[in-house]
Amino acid sequence: MISATPKRIPMTSGKKVIWTTGIILAVLIVTVPVYLLVKYSISDIKSINTGGKPIPWWPFEPTMQAFLYLFRDHHFYQVLLNSVIVAFSTVVLSLILGVPAAYILGRYKIPGRKLLLLGIISVRLFPDIASVIPVVEFFIHIGAHQTYWGVILAHTLLALPYVIFIGIGAFESIPADLEQQAWVMGAGTGQTFFRILLPLATPGLAAAAIYTFLLSWDEFIFAYFLMLGNQEIFTLTLYLNGIKYAEPQNLLAAISVCLSVPVIIFSLMVQRYMIAGISTGSVK
Amino acid sequence: MADVILRSLSKKFGNSTIIDNLDLSVRDGEFVTLLGPSGCGKTTLLRMIAGLESIDSGELLIGGKRYNAIPAQKRRIAMVFQSYALFPHMTVRRNILFGLQLNGVSQLKMQQKLKWVTGFLHLKGLEDRLPREISGGQRQRVALARALVLDPDVLLLDEPLSNLDAALRETAIEELKRIHRHVGKTIIYVTHNQVEAMSMSERIALINNGRTVQYDSPTALYDSPSNIFTAEFIGSPQINFFDGVIQAEEDGLGVMTDIGLLKLDKERNSRLKDLAGKKVKAGIRPQSVYFSKHSDSRRHTDTVIELTVELVENLGDKYLVIGRNITGAVVRFLIVRDEEVIPERKMKVFVDGRKVHLFDPTTSLNIFN
Repeated sequence: MISATPKRIPMTSGKKVIWTTGIILAVLIVTVPVYLLVKYSISDIKSINTGGKPIPWWPFEPTMQAFLYLFRDHHFYQVLLNSVIVAFSTVVLSLILGVPAAYILGRYKIPGRKLLLLGIISVRLFPDIASVIPVVEFFIHIGAHQTYWGVILAHTLLALPYVIFIGIGAFESIPADLEQQAWVMGAGTGQTFFRILLPLATPGLAAAAIYTFLLSWDEFIFAYFLMLGNQEIFTLTLYLNGIKYAEPQNLLAAISVCLSVPVIIFSLMVQRYMIAGISTGSVK
Repeated sequence: MADVILRSLSKKFGNSTIIDNLDLSVRDGEFVTLLGPSGCGKTTLLRMIAGLESIDSGELLIGGKRYNAIPAQKRRIAMVFQSYALFPHMTVRRNILFGLQLNGVSQLKMQQKLKWVTGFLHLKGLEDRLPREISGGQRQRVALARALVLDPDVLLLDEPLSNLDAALRETAIEELKRIHRHVGKTIIYVTHNQVEAMSMSERIALINNGRTVQYDSPTALYDSPSNIFTAEFIGSPQINFFDGVIQAEEDGLGVMTDIGLLKLDKERNSRLKDLAGKKVKAGIRPQSVYFSKHSDSRRHTDTVIELTVELVENLGDKYLVIGRNITGAVVRFLIVRDEEVIPERKMKVFVDGRKVHLFDPTTSLNIFN
């Protein structure tokens, strides 16, 4: 029988010290930049331009000035909305296209499977900066530049290999017995897919969705080249790029904070589908 | 309800033949077990009946209708997988009702069936649990419940007890017998465990290398194995085999082996005369060798063997004794635990000649069949 909680192995005290130190270090590496970012976003000018004195660990006079400035800029709302639209659409489109592909590649023996997988991953074999030129040129040909769907399509192109690969893993891990049991009970291919396979693949697909959202949300190069001309007001990363030389720097930090909040919200929303050990108890 | 008839069924995976021209007929309402060692093709055969494996050649008839090309979804068959294959994201209730929902059964009818089956299989109170929240035995019963509510023509069971511990398995065997008596369905059961097969089935099809070796009642399989494979596979501890030659001399009619001259029962012994000089393999079950302090209790068909005890295994109520006679022939036999058996000691035991099975070493068939 598979037990739900893994067995904990007791550690010797020497090992404990090493591990605890390692864990603290890892947590610091992740949290210190976040702390610095938040600190900058609420810093007053004097806490940034200290005139040679060390920058304080906490601003002298914390202020919401940078945020207030942002929230008064009507461009900012448009840009935020654009980013949300692009990211959500990318997630939806990537799943619609990627999940069926992952299902077939994960559960059926089809000729040329390996070649297909190689083809799917090939777009990610090159650095974005190398693949962006031909892609943008092609998009200009089909009139997809400077449009929402151009950027959405480009982001889908980037996310799809990941969605398919994560999805293949999710579908492959479902025991074949479950699918066949559904058939024997009278379920057709569609019913089996929607009522058995898809719910069981959901944790994996949720991970793929979070990843896709992040990828689109943070993506800069493709959006930049596709929106050449009016890129400053398109997505948050482009907006950030547009004011990168602006003073004071606390504004940049405030935008960055705004950039990360929706990601956290989206991740929390999707995380409840990421149930560990969903197929426990099905077989055996 | 329906009978199941397999006519020269064949199945190949690549170059290897899994099912080889197999014939089998299961009567309506019968409990038949497909028994055999792992890899003998029994599970493949079951999956062919379920529609999960294609049929290369031959015919599958269920209730008189040809089912070769009918997809699994359209067969009125329920199957319990060895793994139980419970849907892990569904509660016990939804697992049980899944098939009925697909068939568009009314809510009222579904509730009735749920009530019946949960009562019948002691699953009351577990309806809202997930499979991972119930025990192995309960999972096995949910899998059975899910199959039974579908009211199938044929119920296929693929080693459903192999994941249970010994005590649970015994309860489950009783449960399955009760189900069979109660619902009267045609049941085809696959197992490699002869105890399960012997205790539940009306008939056992012993399968080896994709062929039916013997198809008969459990008693017949045990008492009159038609070939060496059946004799070896059925019965525990395993049968003893001795090479021998049929001897028809005035001083004794029987089979001369390393453990002496085996005398059969009158009826079979008289048939030996025509076979004089023939080489045979004599099979003697450990249960057919007995020990007695009083030599007057021996029958005229009994053969005395003198053995040196080598090993003694405690089987709980009995000892399995492994002894060797002067020629080096090893004899395994059972003895009640009250007797004192000490390794290295000599002891005299009797072989019950009426229960000796003789096989042709080349064809491996029982020479009296």
